Amino acid sequence: MDVIDQRTITTVKEAVAARSDGALLSVTQPHPDTLYFAIDKRAMPAVVDGLVNEMRARFMISVGTDKRPVTGEFAILHLFSLDREHLYILLESPVAEEDLRIASITGVVPGANWAEREYRDAIGVHPEGHPDPRRLLLADDWPEGVYPLRRDFPYNYQPPPAENVRPQLREPPAGASVLPMGPFFPVLEEPAYWRLFVEGETIVGCDTRIFYNHRGIEKLGESVLTYNEIPYLAERICGICGFIHSTCYCQAVEKAAGIEAPRRARYIRTIMLELERIHSHLLWLGIAGHIIGFDTVLMQTWRIREPVMWLCEEISGNRKTYGMNTVGGLRRDLPNQIKPKLMETLAEVEKEAIAVRDAVVGDTTLHARTKGVGVLTNEWAKKICTVGPPARASGVAIDARIDHPYAAYDEVPPQIATQEAGDTWARVLVRVGELLESIRLVREALSAIPEGPICAEIKEEIPPGKVGVSVVEAPRGEAVHFVLTGGDNRPYRWRVRAPTYPNLQALPAMILNETIADVPITLGSLDPCFSCTERLETIDRRTKEVRIYSRADLLEMSRGKARRRGAP
Amino acid sequence: MFLSKLREALICLKAGRVTLGYPFTPHEPKPGFRGKVTVDTDLCFGCGGCANVCPAGVIVVSDQEPRQRVLEFYWARCTYCGKCEEVCPEKAIRLSQQFETATDTPQDMYMRLEVLMGPCQRCGRCFPPPTVLDRMMKTGFRNSSEGGRA
Repeated sequence: MDVIDQRTITTVKEAVAARSDGALLSVTQPHPDTLYFAIDKRAMPAVVDGLVNEMRARFMISVGTDKRPVTGEFAILHLFSLDREHLYILLESPVAEEDLRIASITGVVPGANWAEREYRDAIGVHPEGHPDPRRLLLADDWPEGVYPLRRDFPYNYQPPPAENVRPQLREPPAGASVLPMGPFFPVLEEPAYWRLFVEGETIVGCDTRIFYNHRGIEKLGESVLTYNEIPYLAERICGICGFIHSTCYCQAVEKAAGIEAPRRARYIRTIMLELERIHSHLLWLGIAGHIIGFDTVLMQTWRIREPVMWLCEEISGNRKTYGMNTVGGLRRDLPNQIKPKLMETLAEVEKEAIAVRDAVVGDTTLHARTKGVGVLTNEWAKKICTVGPPARASGVAIDARIDHPYAAYDEVPPQIATQEAGDTWARVLVRVGELLESIRLVREALSAIPEGPICAEIKEEIPPGKVGVSVVEAPRGEAVHFVLTGGDNRPYRWRVRAPTYPNLQALPAMILNETIADVPITLGSLDPCFSCTERLETIDRRTKEVRIYSRADLLEMSRGKARRRGAP
Repeated sequence: MFLSKLREALICLKAGRVTLGYPFTPHEPKPGFRGKVTVDTDLCFGCGGCANVCPAGVIVVSDQEPRQRVLEFYWARCTYCGKCEEVCPEKAIRLSQQFETATDTPQDMYMRLEVLMGPCQRCGRCFPPPTVLDRMMKTGFRNSSEGGRA
């Protein structure tokens, strides 16, 4: 790992001390790359302003924690990253139960918008002066004043459903019409409702309601599961970057507990992470083609992608949920006899990927649909704290693999590609470049992989009250996991921030003044997925009869079954 | 323009048919595939280690009567992580290669295993004897007429 410059640490400490104006409560350095400041809440906006505007710190996420059983107060923690200096800065403010307010930092960092609304919903600390303090996380019929991430809230509590509730959505500007997109729309990865304000074909603004898919994963991790059970849940946060989330979680716990994963485990993690990037980018390229009606790209990239999935199945035992990660290392070794096959598949994928790249790069249809479309300017990308390929396509050269090296990236560093244009085409180019780079990285890691154990022995219990921050560069951008260890063999607080979280916030800026037809591909260029199929096909293996059930058939079948069982 | 279309056509033509014949031809998963969990009831001696590590809570252990431990398996919850296979000291619980698990009878998703145990003479609760040899010496641990190995 890169050595953190002692001068940077001194500078940051001085800057925070100067801006906090005597409100600095304590400074600690739990890990060499983590600075932890406790400051009085009234000084928070000033300190954040200093960090962001003078030190060029990048806001990552806010964590609201109910620390009442420990300190008697709530705590709001803002996470920042100094990318060039490889340093995390944690700013925490205690918030007393009698005065559940803290000054909002969204005015200083627009990217903190959702994060602040989220802690308001989750633990009930109000960000004062927030420009848009609407509900974000909780369902529309969730009762007011019930905060699910408080410690005294049982994980299995179900509030009664309410009738006639609707999301609090903004009204369109005068003269504009509303065009709803979603909550179920084929381009979106998850149910999300975009309310587009249009004047003719032109978008003049938009509003959004998301978090329909909120599953309470953090609460489960803090109340039901144990340290070594959470990786399997973390893996299911995302359908594509499962290994990324389990790695990120394990690294955060390892860091908090001071466990060092063996070199071999780190190399295997690197290989799996890059394999995941390869198949994710191929998937994305196909979807992007599909969105603009260019299905040849979809068919061909998915064909190229499939051998990678088979390879993952052979290595891990499953094509998607690998179940390999555990705190301290891995459960499953990479068998040496698979190396030649891995190399062979990679060579094949590389050849095909280059062929597809050469074909699409000159394709005028693609150019017409993506060049100059959905431009995210460098300024906005920084303001909204965008991560991953969308950031790199707008000239923000950040990559967690370089900025905060983890796994084996300190020994096999990636070359990152940036583009300046910030349009959808630039995002295509960045991803295609990364795809080929990932193939190189897997090869390099495979040839350098050391022998040895794959899991560290954990002799002592994980001590409570330790913090660990870990980032992993997912195909979509940087995933952040924050862990505060607790008793009972489980984290006290586990915070997950997926890369789409900041990236989606950039969409309003990207689609402004675009046409309606360009919205899907712009959204798709951030992070797309496909919606489920509407029907079901069954095949009788004996008679080879194929029968397609319509929606009505399925409904009738399921109702008939419920009747037979005597369900109401 | 024309050139790139030609290239694309060439890629498609070269690929040919790539879909598998499944379900008309059988599909064999790769070795090491984590499929449906199987339990060898003869080998299980009821230590409950699998229930202890299962992240999804598939396995529920209860001591309902003296000398009897009941393991209930709610298969619908299984996430195929394979932790149970990892900890089982008798290799009684294994992940098979079976992946066609769809069913329309709810009973298929439930299994109940009753294991005869040696109860503690003081507290009366079941406990697994520490070693294989101990188990063989213990009377009433497993009814030999059931054909169990130990």
